[in-house]
Amino acid sequence: MDDVIIKIRGMMCGHCEKTVTEAAKSVKGVTKASSDFNKGEAKVSFDSSITTLETIKKAIIDAGYEVMEEDETCPLLLKPAIIEPRAKVVDKVGGIKKNSIKITGMTCASCAQNIEKALNKIDGVIKASVNFSFEKAVVEYDSSKVSTADLENAITSLGYGVAKSEVTLKVGLMHCASCALNIETALKKTPGIKSVNVSFPLERAKIAYDPEFISVQDIIKVIESVGYTASEKLEKSDADREQRAREEEIKRQKINLIIALVLAIPISLGDMGRNLGWTFVPDFLKNDYLLFVLATIVMLFPGRQFFEGTYKGLKHGVTDMNLLIATGTGAAYLVSVAATFLDLGEAYKHTYYDTAALLIMFIVLGRYLEALTKGKTSEAIRKLMGLAAKTARIMVNGEEKEILVENVKINDIVIVRPGEKIPVDGKVIDGLTAVDESMITGESIPVEKAVGAEVIGATMNKTGMIKFTATKVGSDTALAQIIKLVEDAQTQKAPIQKLADIVAGHFILAVHVLALLTFFFWFFVGFEKFNVPSTFGMGMVSPFLFSLLISITVLIISCPCAVGLATPIAIMVGTGKGAQNGILIKGGEVLEKAQKLDTIVFDKTGTLTRGEPALTDVIAVKGSENEVLKLAAIAEKGSEHPLGEAILKGAKSRGIDVPDAESFKAIPGRGVEVKYGGNRVLIGTRKLMTENGMDVTPLIGKLEELEYNGKTAMLVAENNKIAGIVAAADTLKENSREAVAELHKMGFSVAMITGDNKRTAEAIAKQVGIDRVLSEVLPEDKAAQIKKLQAEGQKVAMVGDGINDAPALTQSDVGIAIGSGTDVAIESAQIVLIKNDVRDVEKAIRLSKLTLRKIKQNLFWAFFYNSVGIPIAMGILYPFTNPPYLINPALAAAAMAASSVTVTMNTLFMKRIKLQE
Amino acid sequence: MEKKLGTYSLVASIATSIVIVLLFYILAASKVSINPQMYKPIDIYAGMVYVFVLSMIVSASIWPGIIEKKLKG
Repeated sequence: MDDVIIKIRGMMCGHCEKTVTEAAKSVKGVTKASSDFNKGEAKVSFDSSITTLETIKKAIIDAGYEVMEEDETCPLLLKPAIIEPRAKVVDKVGGIKKNSIKITGMTCASCAQNIEKALNKIDGVIKASVNFSFEKAVVEYDSSKVSTADLENAITSLGYGVAKSEVTLKVGLMHCASCALNIETALKKTPGIKSVNVSFPLERAKIAYDPEFISVQDIIKVIESVGYTASEKLEKSDADREQRAREEEIKRQKINLIIALVLAIPISLGDMGRNLGWTFVPDFLKNDYLLFVLATIVMLFPGRQFFEGTYKGLKHGVTDMNLLIATGTGAAYLVSVAATFLDLGEAYKHTYYDTAALLIMFIVLGRYLEALTKGKTSEAIRKLMGLAAKTARIMVNGEEKEILVENVKINDIVIVRPGEKIPVDGKVIDGLTAVDESMITGESIPVEKAVGAEVIGATMNKTGMIKFTATKVGSDTALAQIIKLVEDAQTQKAPIQKLADIVAGHFILAVHVLALLTFFFWFFVGFEKFNVPSTFGMGMVSPFLFSLLISITVLIISCPCAVGLATPIAIMVGTGKGAQNGILIKGGEVLEKAQKLDTIVFDKTGTLTRGEPALTDVIAVKGSENEVLKLAAIAEKGSEHPLGEAILKGAKSRGIDVPDAESFKAIPGRGVEVKYGGNRVLIGTRKLMTENGMDVTPLIGKLEELEYNGKTAMLVAENNKIAGIVAAADTLKENSREAVAELHKMGFSVAMITGDNKRTAEAIAKQVGIDRVLSEVLPEDKAAQIKKLQAEGQKVAMVGDGINDAPALTQSDVGIAIGSGTDVAIESAQIVLIKNDVRDVEKAIRLSKLTLRKIKQNLFWAFFYNSVGIPIAMGILYPFTNPPYLINPALAAAAMAASSVTVTMNTLFMKRIKLQE
Repeated sequence: MEKKLGTYSLVASIATSIVIVLLFYILAASKVSINPQMYKPIDIYAGMVYVFVLSMIVSASIWPGIIEKKLKG
């Protein structure tokens, strides 16, 4: 008895497997046969004294499949490992790790630069990138040289905070304060625990931990091991935590603003009233000592944050936005204090408490508005995080049990009732329902789910109760992957940001140099030359005070925030908007590349077409078309072949009733024979008909024409008389033509790449309106074809879905994978369309263009504001205007606050723009 | 290395700031002598303090980078 494995090409489905197996078994002497279309092989056991391997191979060939030689390999790239994914792997061999750290306390782009510099200086850090608007650092590092704790220490030593994973547990069985101490001691000894605070009266334990080392379940086990009970409270999710942190910041700045506003009004009235002789202001408000007390409160409470920030920064040799504000307000305040308590002469009687108070009020107003708007920019990701279900109902020993979604394990049987959220990804094993997947795919119509269908976690079960097996949980779920992809994209920098980073990085220094030069100029030259004592409208003024005021205005009006925010905030909103529309853009670089595209290449099968055959033609030789189709459908009713299913579906869609056949017989490689109403019905190839004595010559022309157009034609015969022809073919997706037309309208050249022969490919291209066809391209040559187009000077986007498209997706300037695609395709692409809709290609390109346009607008306004504002603040208009014009420092503060708010607001307008025209 | 860098940077920054303040003082003193009605000694002293603060901020931002490069050779 011999056992052999025969390599086979052409098996596409379970039906093919069956056909090959039966073909092999039909050979006398074969004792056992089985085949696997995934592996492309058949295992056969046979008696070599009765038959030979060649006979078995011939039977398989006769069944319509190709047998490969032993050393021949399948041209399809079946193993994902061959393809080098473009995206970086999170955990690499050799201790290289990538970690993201949530940072708190950053106030401007310079802070991000400072942290980035500090992290990049650490030995072992390969690359660190800090995003100010996303408040996150992404660090690639060698874990053998540096630990997460080292990275966090570097950040905290600069005066910034690190947001840790925290959980609050409800602890039971504590009897006294020493119980709390016991739990604290036990937890502190556990690796991965960063801090513990156990409250006996509240029965709560607040624990900061490193999720890389320890899970919440392990923490609970530690507490239980020392004799107490612990359970999780539902308030630890990242979304909740971030929301709380943002709300706290908004609340803090709101209180600061109220204090500053309430005090700045009387201070301004008093100070200006005295200096300008306003009689309506009560005299007590003009009192220097009262003004001093009120201004000191402003400096100590709403203004403290700037001085604290400056102190922390200077302690570690870094400068940021706080320094500019602290220098400006501090100088105005100190000069006023000196004027209040010291007799420095007539010119020094003037106080500037109003300047200090108004400066702080406007800047705090800016920070408050920024905190409000910043929350809106990250709304998309927060919404995604908030989509996750909190609990799941699973079957345990035949009973339903509600558990936290984090505790669902793979293969758990999950039950979901109508109106409930599907907690994790899985495969339906029982029930029928419609699921609203709009939150993930953007598709508003609910999708029907029956046994075998895949369900996505966080989607909404609408109509029926289902049971499903959990296939992906925790960070592996589709939602978690999408969030990660969007977060990574938002942290990546666009090349256009380099310029902004260079400017923002040296901005503070440049502004101080300008302030110093301005002070020198007005003190030594301008004050005398432009006769300030007689032209300045604010009464008697000394050269020092005048120069100081202008110098302070320069410090205050400069806004590195707007420059630093311009790019990341637009990327954040753009990628967030994309995620809400089912378009995942992997980073800022893609946005820029998408602008330069001029050619879009579509893979045919599965991308432009459905990837499954549908009935296209029915030609009647005898009787009507419907009669021929009915015969064909009856014959194919028992068949599992995709072509059979297409015919059956086609008949049903025409309202034809398809009764069961009396007997069914599949003839491998030929077709099907059934008995119906006492008649013998055959459907299949020309060979089947000729073998049964029928003459097919008159129909050859028609058959060839159909085949010419890429269709599979089958002859239908009743009682050995040909009744007609039915044809099926892979059909276009309903939106393909519209998508191509839109792309043409946008000025793109659209091409199609396929392995089909030229004539078939051209026929399909014509239907869809594509101008260029790359036909007869073997899967492994797709990338080469893209390269060829690029060599012609074209900037190419490749749209595909299969493993075999992955190299082409990588080779193209922008790879676009459609959502039904394989993991490898998704990993190789830079844009992922979650919905299976090719029209999203156009949407994705529109979104890229919109985002880059916003980046450019933001950068323009940020640079324009600074390049106009700073010279005016330096007093450039003073000599040329009558009366001489100078910006008041308070007005400068208001303008500065407005600039970053303007950039944020301008970006937020993107949310209102519809992606489809 | 870190300690050395910090010390050298501080010394260089103070030295630079003192030079700038001295320059300011010399120029301001000449102004006071030419136009004593407009420029008072208090302007010089207040100005020196402000110039020192700004000079320290500027030089403390520039020197560490230069010294770090020199130390690394």
